[in-house]
Parts: sequence; structure tokens; C-alpha cells
Amino acid sequence: MLKNYIKIAFKVFLRRKFFTFISLFAISFTLVVLMVAVAFLDHTFGKQPPENKQDRTLCVFHMVMKTPDGGGTWSSGGGYKFFDRYARNLNGVEKMSLCTETEPVFSYHNGEKIQSYLKRTDGEFWQILEFTFLEGAPFTSDDEKNVNFVAVINDATRKKFFGDESAAGKTIEADGQRFRVVGVVANVPYLRRTPFADIWVPISTMKTNNYRGELMGNFNALFLARSRSDFLAIKDEFQVRLKQVEFPDPREWNQMYGVAETYFENTSRSAFGRQENYQSQNAKFLAALIGAMILFMLLPTINLININVSRIMERASEIGVRKAFGASSWTLVWQFVVENVLLTLIGGAIGFALSRFVLQAITKSGFFPYAEFHLNYRVFLYGLALAIFFGLMSGVYPAWKMSRLHPVQALKG
Amino acid sequence: MIKHLCKLVWNRKRINFLITIEIFFSFLVLFSVIVFAVYYLNNYLYPLGFNYENIWSIQVDTRSGSDEKDKLQRLAKTNQIISALREFGEVESAAAVWAAPFSRGDWTSGRKLKDGRDFDYSNNEASDELKEVLGLNVVRGRWFSKEDDGVTNYKPVVINQMMARAFFGDEDPIGKDISDPDDKERKEARVVGVIDDFRKNGEFSEIRGYVFNRADFTNQQSFLPRFFLIKVRPETTAVFEEKLLARLQAEARDWSFTIKTLVDMRANVFQEYLVPMTAFALVAGFLLIMVGLGLTGVLWLTVTQRTKEIGLRRAKGATKRRIYHQILGEMFIITSLGLLAGVLVVVQFPLLNFLGFADSKVYTLSIIISLVLIYLLTALCGLYPSRLATKVQPAEALHYE
Repeated sequence: MLKNYIKIAFKVFLRRKFFTFISLFAISFTLVVLMVAVAFLDHTFGKQPPENKQDRTLCVFHMVMKTPDGGGTWSSGGGYKFFDRYARNLNGVEKMSLCTETEPVFSYHNGEKIQSYLKRTDGEFWQILEFTFLEGAPFTSDDEKNVNFVAVINDATRKKFFGDESAAGKTIEADGQRFRVVGVVANVPYLRRTPFADIWVPISTMKTNNYRGELMGNFNALFLARSRSDFLAIKDEFQVRLKQVEFPDPREWNQMYGVAETYFENTSRSAFGRQENYQSQNAKFLAALIGAMILFMLLPTINLININVSRIMERASEIGVRKAFGASSWTLVWQFVVENVLLTLIGGAIGFALSRFVLQAITKSGFFPYAEFHLNYRVFLYGLALAIFFGLMSGVYPAWKMSRLHPVQALKG
Repeated sequence: MIKHLCKLVWNRKRINFLITIEIFFSFLVLFSVIVFAVYYLNNYLYPLGFNYENIWSIQVDTRSGSDEKDKLQRLAKTNQIISALREFGEVESAAAVWAAPFSRGDWTSGRKLKDGRDFDYSNNEASDELKEVLGLNVVRGRWFSKEDDGVTNYKPVVINQMMARAFFGDEDPIGKDISDPDDKERKEARVVGVIDDFRKNGEFSEIRGYVFNRADFTNQQSFLPRFFLIKVRPETTAVFEEKLLARLQAEARDWSFTIKTLVDMRANVFQEYLVPMTAFALVAGFLLIMVGLGLTGVLWLTVTQRTKEIGLRRAKGATKRRIYHQILGEMFIITSLGLLAGVLVVVQFPLLNFLGFADSKVYTLSIIISLVLIYLLTALCGLYPSRLATKVQPAEALHYE
């Protein structure tokens, strides 16, 4: 029976090519937009190397310091002193790493100006994050302790400085300092906030030691938990530690706020909450994302329903004949839904091909450095589910309406 | 005529209802893109208030943090750097400023005005040479100068025209105090000059109040500058940059410097505004094309289904022109219903403080543009099907009965 339905469906598609085109255009365009959005979210928040242990990692991105009356606010990254003195040895934390926020630095190489992003960090950073090393190895905690001017660079930076030659053992200049390259890693996308940089060097190579005395600064902390179930305890203990901070001049600043969280939690907090607020805003953020998606899908769906409803009358005589020969309403609904899902799947296939093309174009545009948007199997599954949902949404109402047509009326035409 | 058309529309209420809903949502989508486009365009057409050509920004990280101990020393070093910059033949003038044009970060304050409105404005701190470097236009009074040296009983400030209007209306703002009356430790902030509206964040940013404080690096209360701005001779190339950086590093070994041209920084800011805008416009454009195709299809089917009705009218003597008008007229009524609902929803937004950035001029203009575009779209969609309707031959149509 299904085979017959499919045969009929193809005949119908080919009979009115303009309408088939409209439907396919609507379905594939909607899918392209959704797929690009999902690929973007997946690229930014999803699990991918070097963040292979992402589901066990918590970070502190922002800190807030306040005056006694709460009127004055200092908002930035955390200071080295705060993390070093108050955030170490949290229960359930296996490893902890500190790193600065990436900052642009310039190098002058053979009369050319090269811009790179620099991150200063410690030895544990390379254990929490699993970078792919193309050459050499990471620097260690000892390098950090002994103030060794060593650097790990990414593939793109190696190309800029050394062309196709190997870089290990050579020196590069950045921000007026010279570093010996000990390792080369594969490029990490710009949108991966925690690992991203072009050049990584030890914290102790900072130009002054002032950072050691700062409660607020430009540091982020990474905590690798023993397991995900420790997250809550770690978050709570971090809040307790915040209360223990001794301020150099409590009349000036006397409160500090911050949250150990995932990057997704951080994004939803900055969208909907305030840094001082410890409550998770994930639910709101997810609701907003899903709401936006539904709103966006509404118009194409109405459009498809519209066309499908109008086309019922075209097939009135066919329905009349089938009803007269005893087909039930359910059979007709089933047939129409099959037709719609089939059309959706064809539209879906076109949509996938187009999405690939669009994602490639975005990747190539270089607007997001080192980004590689692909249609991985996860995104593919989301897309497929969406396509079928879409087909049902736009097919069920017209099918139900069609099946209730009275045979006599239908046969009359 | 219209009453009759309304009746015809009502007769096919189910399908027309769906079309109305589709037009309603299309209007909302189009409006939300248009309102941003009109807002940004309106800002873009407004003068920027400064020059950006041949100006380089040198961002400086003094690693000061919360440590205030050696601030005097740092301030002295700042002064040294400014004089070092002036020594270069390539540099026409140099200034220090807290926030450079097109840079990130804003220092904002809010105040309740006399008429009860909340007024937000931005602050900056600049040395005396900024006027020369950025080519600021002083409309009233004067910019900072040596005259302000040693003044301790008040703080000289220069404000922009919008701020002057908001605070003092048509009165002369020169010599007036803009400090916050609620602040207990306040010091008089005396307006010494008014400049053209200055928009640090570039052409697309809003027109807002702006206050310049005077940077005086002999005073320990002064902020440390975060940027040096230099106006270079037009023929200066990037080769000079390396020389410049070497000199800066020699002057302050433990500071970091980032040199960029204002032209590049402006291009970056442009990209930040234009890329999301283009993405939204593209999506909205495709949605509208899809809606357009869908409407054409639906109308086409409607016409083929109504062959009998149209044929009868033709047989009774209706001209082609009247049939054409009937189809377009029906479409007009359906569209208007959808748009009416859309406008009713959209006018609620300002009341709910949603899209608060757009003033009533921008808002009204956006509504009008969106209305015109949707009418154009539906008219375009109706064109082919109504032409088709005029081709119906009475004989052929009546043949069915």
C-alpha cells in the first residue's frame, strides 16, 4: 500500500511543479536556517577537542567586586591572588588551572606586522584540556615556576612565522618579549572561549609581578571535577570561599561575587541574569532559544498549511472516488501524511546539501577565526527530527480537513 | 463595492483567515528588521563629531590593577611618553584619553533631569591636545587649556550639544554646574565648553550625552589614560609603527602597547553592526520570498476554483478590468486585515518598553515602510492570478453547469 501512496505522491508532485517547488523551497530554506543556527550553537557550546572533558569542567569567567554600600561595581576577570589563595583545593576538584583572558598582541617579523591572540597559563591547563600536538609538547608547571620563556603556538601562527618549516626550538617575538617554541598545536576555534589563543605562554612571564597581589584582574579559573556529580558541591564551596576573602581596604571594596559554571551557564547568565546572582538562568535561556525557533518556524508552517489546504479542492474528485469505494477517513489521512512526509524528506535532503554549502561558505569567509562548522551526525539527527516534525505540522490539518469531505460533494467537483 | 468585496472575502473565511495570519506574521518579521535598519540608518546619517583619518590609537596596559602605590610614578611616565611621541617627525599631534573612539568599554552615568526623565550619558577623560588630534568642533566656550592648570575648587568639563540641551534647554550652559546634587562629596563640575555631538562608538551608535573631563597627569586624582591618540602625517606607513613601538617599550618596559589605526578600528565596529544585520535581513528576505511564492500559489488556485463565478460575471457584462479589480480588491482587504492586527501589536511594544531605543520618528517611519512593502508584496503576488482571471472565457466557464 505504501508503495502505491509513494507512486501517487510522485505523480502529484510532478503534475503541479510550481507548487512542489514552493513547498520544497519553504522546507529546505527553513531547514538551512535552523541547521546553521544549530551548527553555530553546537560549535560554541558542544563538546569538541580540546575540551574532551567538558562535561567535567567548571570555569570562573567573570568576577564582581563591590563597595560597602553596593553602589560601586568593579566587573572583570578574577585576580591571580584571589584564585591562588582562596580557590585552590576545593573538594571534588581533581585539577585546577588558571589562565588569562586572551588578548591581542603584535609581533614584527621580517618587517611584517603579525597580530595574534596570547593567553598566559600554567602547566595544568594542558592536562585539563587535550590539545592535539603537531610538534613538541606542552610547557610544564616547572616552566611556570622557573619563569622559562617558552611558548606553545598554533598551526596558523607557525605558518605566519616559519612558513612550512617546523617551529620547535625556534624563537618568536610577541608583545616585546621573546619566547622559545616548545610545541605546536592544531588551531582551536575563536568561539571556544576557554581554550582559544594563538600563542600560550607561562603566567610567570608577565612583564611585572603585580598580578600576584590582585583580587581582581584578567584571570579565568578552570576546575576539573572528579565527576559531574561533584558540580553542586564545588559550586557551593566556591561561594563559601568568596565569603572568606580578606580585603586590603574594606572601606573601599568589601564584597566579591563570582560563579563556577560551564560556558553555557555563563552565556545564559549574561543574557538573563546578573553576575552577582548565583541562580542558574539556563531554563530561561533555553526557553528563549526554543521560543525563537518556534517563532521562526511558524511562518513557513502557515505558508505550507495554506498551500496544502488550497490544494485539497484540486484533488476533490480523487477523494470522492476513493470514499465512494469505501476508503475510511483514516486511510486518507494516512495517505496524505505519507505524501507530506515524503515531500518533507526530499526538501530535507535539499536542505542538507544547501546547509553544507552555506556552512562551508561561513567557514571559508574567515569571519570566525579557525571555525569549522560542519554537519556532524548530531546536527544531522536534530535536522532530520525537525524536518519530520515540520512535515507533520503542515500536513495533519489539511489531511484531516480533506478526509471529512463528503463523497457526494467531492464527486460533484 | 467594498461592502460587496467584504462579503466575498467572508464567504471564503477559512482560507482567507489563514492568509491573514500569514500576512500578520510577515508584517511582524519585516517590521522587526526594518526598525533596526531605519534606526541605524538614521544614526549613520547624523554627523560623527570627530575625524578618524590618519589617526593611530595606541592602547596601553599599565598593569595597574587595584594597586595604587606607584600611581604618581605611572602618571609621570605617561607625561614622558606623550612628549616622546611629539618628538617624532611623523607625528603631528598626540593626546591621551581614557577611551579612544571605536574602542570597547564605556564609562556611563545616569541622572534624573528636572522634568523627571532619566538621562544616561557617557564620560571620558582627555588631555588638552585631543581637540587638535580629533578635530573636535567647539560650538560654545572653549576646550581645555593651560588656563585650567592649578584650578582646585572646581572641575572643568566640556559637554556635547545634546547634553547641553537636555540639562539647560536654551540657556547658555557655560559656567554652569553639572555635578550630581545627590552626591555628598560632590565637587562643582563647571562647563567650560560645548562641542558638536560626539559619538565614540561610531556612526551606527546612538546620539547620547557626552562629558569630557580634563586629564591632568600632575594630579594624583587623575585617571591613568588607557589610550594615546596620535595624528600622523598622511604619508606615514606601517614601517613607522615598529619604530614607534620600540621607542614606547624603551620608555616603559613593563607596559604593553597595541597600535591600531582608527580607520581599522572603525572597520571592525562596522562589521560588528553590519554582519548580524545582514544575516537577519537575509533570513527575513528569504521568508518574504517564501511567503510571496505561497501567496501566489494560493491565489492562483483560488482563481482556478472560481472559474464558474468569474465566467458568470463576464457573461453578465463585467469587463476584464472589473474582474481584475475584484481579485486585487479582495487581496487588498485580506492584507489590510492582517496588517491592522500587526500594527495593533507593534504599537504596544513602546508601551511595554520593548525596542525602547527607537524614538517615535524612527518607529512611525518603520511602520509605514513595512506597510508599504507588504502591500507591494501582496499586490505583486496578486498580479499574475488576477491576470489569469481576466482570461476566463464566459462560454468555457458556463460550460460546467
